[in-house]
Amino acid sequence: MPESRSTAAGRSLLAGLLVCASLDVAAATLTKWTGGRLPALKLADADGREQGTADWRGKTVVVNFWATWCEPCREEMPSLDRLRKRLSNKPFEVIAVNVGEAPERVARFTRDVPVSFPILYDRDSATAKRWQVRGYPTSYVIGPDGRIRYYFVGELDWSRDDVVRTIEAVR
Amino acid sequence: MDRRDFIRIAGAGSATLALPGAISNALANATGNPWRVYEVTTRVEMLKPVGVTRVWVPLPLSDDTDYQKSLGNSWEASSGKAWAWHDAKYGAGAVAAEWPADVKPVLEVKSRFATSDHAVDLSAKPGKQRLSDASRRLYTAPTDLIPTGGIVRETALKITKGANTDVEKARAIYNWVVENTFREPKTRGCGVGDIKFMLESGNLSGKCADLNALFVGLARAAGVPARDIYGVRVADSRLGYKSLGKSGDITKAQHCRADFWANGYGWVPVDPADVRKVVLEEPPGKLPMDEPRVKAARERLFGSWEMNWLGYNYGHDLVLPGSSRGPVGFLMYPQAETAEGRLDCLDPDNFKYTMSVRELSLA
Repeated sequence: MPESRSTAAGRSLLAGLLVCASLDVAAATLTKWTGGRLPALKLADADGREQGTADWRGKTVVVNFWATWCEPCREEMPSLDRLRKRLSNKPFEVIAVNVGEAPERVARFTRDVPVSFPILYDRDSATAKRWQVRGYPTSYVIGPDGRIRYYFVGELDWSRDDVVRTIEAVR
Repeated sequence: MDRRDFIRIAGAGSATLALPGAISNALANATGNPWRVYEVTTRVEMLKPVGVTRVWVPLPLSDDTDYQKSLGNSWEASSGKAWAWHDAKYGAGAVAAEWPADVKPVLEVKSRFATSDHAVDLSAKPGKQRLSDASRRLYTAPTDLIPTGGIVRETALKITKGANTDVEKARAIYNWVVENTFREPKTRGCGVGDIKFMLESGNLSGKCADLNALFVGLARAAGVPARDIYGVRVADSRLGYKSLGKSGDITKAQHCRADFWANGYGWVPVDPADVRKVVLEEPPGKLPMDEPRVKAARERLFGSWEMNWLGYNYGHDLVLPGSSRGPVGFLMYPQAETAEGRLDCLDPDNFKYTMSVRELSLA
């Protein structure tokens, strides 16, 4: 088995990266992203319609990597929906990226926890790995220019006033 | 909707969880071996916290291999904070968590991953695999408990005398470990892995972290890149060995393996410690070396692993983030510290942890 250069590169990207995931949901805050650019993302929803980073220019977007088996992911989903509703009059979107699961399973979850934002499918986990996702949930706040501004690993109340203000201030 | 409802939803149909075809395709490997998907849950409770408490739980190998792929991790540390950490030298990963005084620290970590049986055919024509200079340096270097000079080098040179290739040297060391060590059931946990002490004292007993570390140290001393791979068993063996598998409650199923690099073949899996486990534990116990099950295990465990096991990392002498103590020799068990110091990770009176595994269907 050849030693993979890409995995070695991935390891060096991850090396020393301290991904804080404060689980005190009431006090947790978004962390400034200093990791530079990540690869372009393009994924399909359950109906096969593709969208990705190139389509989101001009908007602030929260990209949330999650799975139904991840309890903190399930807990924070309603707050992402509240965030989207609070910023509905702004150029803003929430995109949930489900990692490694079938649409049928996700549909079973969203029947009980309805969400208004699009859900894209990273069925082979490749995008999550390219985006350095090691724990779920992991979320990125992307500015209108396509640059990542903040990230957060773990459960967050996305509808909290200070979190909403931080996201509103992204230009 | 409350938390119990979420749990109920997540649990529904879990026995028949269908992973999509895309995953099956993505998991296809060169050998065509089938993949199995597992979820391991590790729950840590500190029974007597004093002051600030810190806990570290190892995560699966961060780099995908032909035999193991990570499908994601999730964790909860109520009333505390937790984060994913990776050591820069080996890429070893862990969830690190911290709680202030006066709270009851509880950490739960879930990891999903896929494994596929792993074998390297050393009788095949060699390919073009070459190890980078940096990796060769790293995996022939000494560590605190695995020195490569002195008695280790002298022993390695004696064992490998007359062997020309790295495969021949590794085979000679493997045979020597299998024939000269024995599994000591009274060893705590998986052992310490202090190979210089083992060789100097002549006491070549222990468990996997001792016996496989001996293989690794002797290989490195002979110039053959080799790694300890710390992990845990996650399923019963399908090869008929009762002693070489564990399912359900895997709290005490930690197991480390080893591999070595052979140009043209890549990293070659070995596990001499498990040969000694077969000798000691397969019924009726204390089997002779020429017993068919021992002979089969000995042949099989030079070049292949049944992947009813999860690999965590190759790390040695790891400095845990936030730790006020020295490095750990390896990270295979959950670790914890309070204001009174590092806890004995094998002491259930102060530091309780449970590990469970379930296999998910790849329907």
